[in-house]
Amino acid sequence: MNIIEIENLSHRFADGTLGVDNISLNIRQGSFVVIAGLNGSGKTTLLRHLNGLLLPTSGTVRLAGISVERNLLQARQLVGMMFQDADSQIVGETVYEDVAFGPENLRLERDMVQNRVLMALRAVGLSTLAHQRPHLLSGGEKRRLAIAGILAMEPRVIVFDEPFSSMDYPGIKQILQQILVLHRSGHTIIVTTHDLEKIIAHADRLILMHGGKIVRDGKPAEIMADVEAFGVRKPCTFRMGLAAESWLN
Amino acid sequence: MAELTAFSYIAGHSTLHRIDPRFKIISIIFLSLVSLNLYLRGLGLLTVLLLGVIFYARLPLASGFKELRYFLILLLLIFVARVLSTDETPLIYLKYITISIPGITNGILVCWRLVLIVILGFVFISTTPPSAIKAAVQWFLKPVPFIPEKKVALMMGLIMRFMPVILDQARETAQAQKARAVENRKNPVYRLSKFGFPLIRRTFERADDLVAAMEARAFTEHRTDPELTAGKKDWVALMVVCCLCVFVTIL
Repeated sequence: MNIIEIENLSHRFADGTLGVDNISLNIRQGSFVVIAGLNGSGKTTLLRHLNGLLLPTSGTVRLAGISVERNLLQARQLVGMMFQDADSQIVGETVYEDVAFGPENLRLERDMVQNRVLMALRAVGLSTLAHQRPHLLSGGEKRRLAIAGILAMEPRVIVFDEPFSSMDYPGIKQILQQILVLHRSGHTIIVTTHDLEKIIAHADRLILMHGGKIVRDGKPAEIMADVEAFGVRKPCTFRMGLAAESWLN
Repeated sequence: MAELTAFSYIAGHSTLHRIDPRFKIISIIFLSLVSLNLYLRGLGLLTVLLLGVIFYARLPLASGFKELRYFLILLLLIFVARVLSTDETPLIYLKYITISIPGITNGILVCWRLVLIVILGFVFISTTPPSAIKAAVQWFLKPVPFIPEKKVALMMGLIMRFMPVILDQARETAQAQKARAVENRKNPVYRLSKFGFPLIRRTFERADDLVAAMEARAFTEHRTDPELTAGKKDWVALMVVCCLCVFVTIL
């Protein structure tokens, strides 16, 4: 079953530039998709259509069969989005309050909000920091908090926009571990990156974008030969003719 | 970042931490108003009691004051102004400067009252989670017409959340410019513009990111309301504060 169906999606910005150009794409429930491409290739623009942060200039985006434009609230519940800069995503003055922000927007009862917050904090291992102020957290903890904020809304799709940018090795491993746990628990995962090395071993589908268009789409091993033609570095293991290796090993 | 770490909420389980924020705000208003009219004995008693409360709740008063070092400079200026502007029998007389015992006493009393009010604020902020302050402000503003209390509370929360981020950005911008020898430029207007514009631009960019992040989490003004419950202990605490106000006034 397709959780995301995109038909002929185009988005033109106010200054006239074309962000995405006539994209059609279906994403199966429970899949793990990596979208790669140069900076400015349209990855983030595409993602922002999935929960209605941007609306199409033409074309349609449907989530679980319902148009995003027709039901924005459902879109924002169904698709959780982790932004590149976790600091700008955290709105609460404490860890607990930040995670509660989403459920409170859904007007859930207070005890339901509490249940969801505690569940989400447990899932990302931040229960002990519930009363900590977010700006005192490490980079990895901030990203885990951003994930907890998303989890508390109980989405079916989680979108990660460059989740590993400016992170140290232990931080990358923590976030990668978290993404894999979310995938195993049944979430559909979409990750954008221009650095395939860290994530490609776990993906079941790779989409390459260039100039706002999808230029390749398939199993990672099948289209890996073409990635460098579109400005994306081929991971080391593929260069040496080996199979992809996880960063968790 | 250190500037904002001690003068903010410190998690704890003391009675002070558990009192309803609305009662705390009312108590602070009463105590602040009363302390403006107190003299040595009343101020002394209030100070001792406040220090006891701070000790009981294990609040880091010393680091709080360290962060208020610029306020202490302001206090010193107020003290000097008071001393010099009181016309009484002079203790020291130097050309146009007159220093008298009542002037010094007056200066000390004014500074003491201000310090007391700041300590009250410190105790309040240190023992009340920002969400509870927000909820109390929202509750107080609810009956006021033409004021969108939920928006005001949200704005307060966002300011509290983003002030450290903006200060961090300011520090980073300043360091990046120092690394490129901005200190060699003596023109303050040049330096201010080179510092201010990138900082403002980055702050607005962050604000844009924040709007997107809030929308992505289904932001609406009609959210689950904060929960505030007043119990017996809150009323008892308010009564104690009222009695204390009366007592120190007649002391």
